[in-house]
Amino acid sequence: MEFQARNLADAIEARLTGRLEFTAHDRLRDIVALLDAPNLRRFVVDVSGLDFIDSAGLGMILILQEEAEQKNIKLVVRGPRDDVKRSIDLAKIGEIVSIEY
Amino acid sequence: MRSCPSSIREASINTIPFSVVADLIPAEAGGRCAARFGAFDDADEAVPEEGRCRRVLLVSDVDREVLATSLSEPGAVVVEACEGGLPAGDWAAVSVPANGFYLSLATATAFSLVLAPLVGGVLAARRVLASDKQSVVELCLQEAVANAVIHGNLGISSSAKDHPEGYRVYSQLVNSRLGDLELRQRRVEVFARWSGGALDISVADQGIGFDVAKLPAEIGSHSRSGRGFVFMRALAGQVVVTDGGRCTSLRFER
Repeated sequence: MEFQARNLADAIEARLTGRLEFTAHDRLRDIVALLDAPNLRRFVVDVSGLDFIDSAGLGMILILQEEAEQKNIKLVVRGPRDDVKRSIDLAKIGEIVSIEY
Repeated sequence: MRSCPSSIREASINTIPFSVVADLIPAEAGGRCAARFGAFDDADEAVPEEGRCRRVLLVSDVDREVLATSLSEPGAVVVEACEGGLPAGDWAAVSVPANGFYLSLATATAFSLVLAPLVGGVLAARRVLASDKQSVVELCLQEAVANAVIHGNLGISSSAKDHPEGYRVYSQLVNSRLGDLELRQRRVEVFARWSGGALDISVADQGIGFDVAKLPAEIGSHSRSGRGFVFMRALAGQVVVTDGGRCTSLRFER
């Protein structure tokens, strides 16, 4: 998995590409570190460029959600498609994370 | 099976075909394989054996292209060499039908290789999987391989993530255990067999196993772990765990 971060008007966006899977935990800390930006209130995880996510990858999304919650930051997962959308729906991640389709 | 002939150590190419004399395989090894992988009811044509020999491809410096090519042969048995030569384990005793293949990899390779789409691609190329079934099989296989690598051979519990900063601890554990020679050389086996109606894929490891009765039927949406079996049970036609939790067999309708 690779990601690129950019500043939006009211948020930081991390755009993920490739495969978010059980081998990707090393990269998670780099994404979590983005939540330390001052006065951040909204964090967008753009997964529209993601080809695959497994259960461990979904666990990473939930870790991001918890880290964001602790900092009073609203986390949004944007644009899941195909296999990624199937996994997110199957695991009912939308019950606790805001998903923008 | 632990010794390493000098011709193998000194070979400059990274694939070496050789034969295992079936009569010399210990009966108990065959029994262990049968118990682990189970019978495949619809097994058909056996691979022709030259005399009583089974052909095995020993691979070092594994790469995706070599593996995909090797697994494309009917009844392929592909074994990654370990750092001392031939790996331990019962790989020589696995009876692989022509409509099937068997792969034995070191844990470190199974971790880094992105194995599920490679196997899915081989199955699609061998016309075992229709394109609309491939992604389901790959996701289930991904979960089984991840369990075999992380929880099985590396011995890392899901609970490692279940506290603040847990993901950092988990990441450090993975890296440190991949650096342990004994753990990273443990085997991950993938054994695929198919007939006209069904595809079976078994994934086995050399960890301590687990009690399948303790798996939760459902996982709360907040849980950081435990969804792998939920995915497999939702998407595969059948999920069977044998060998004290060391082997997960998935069945899919074709």
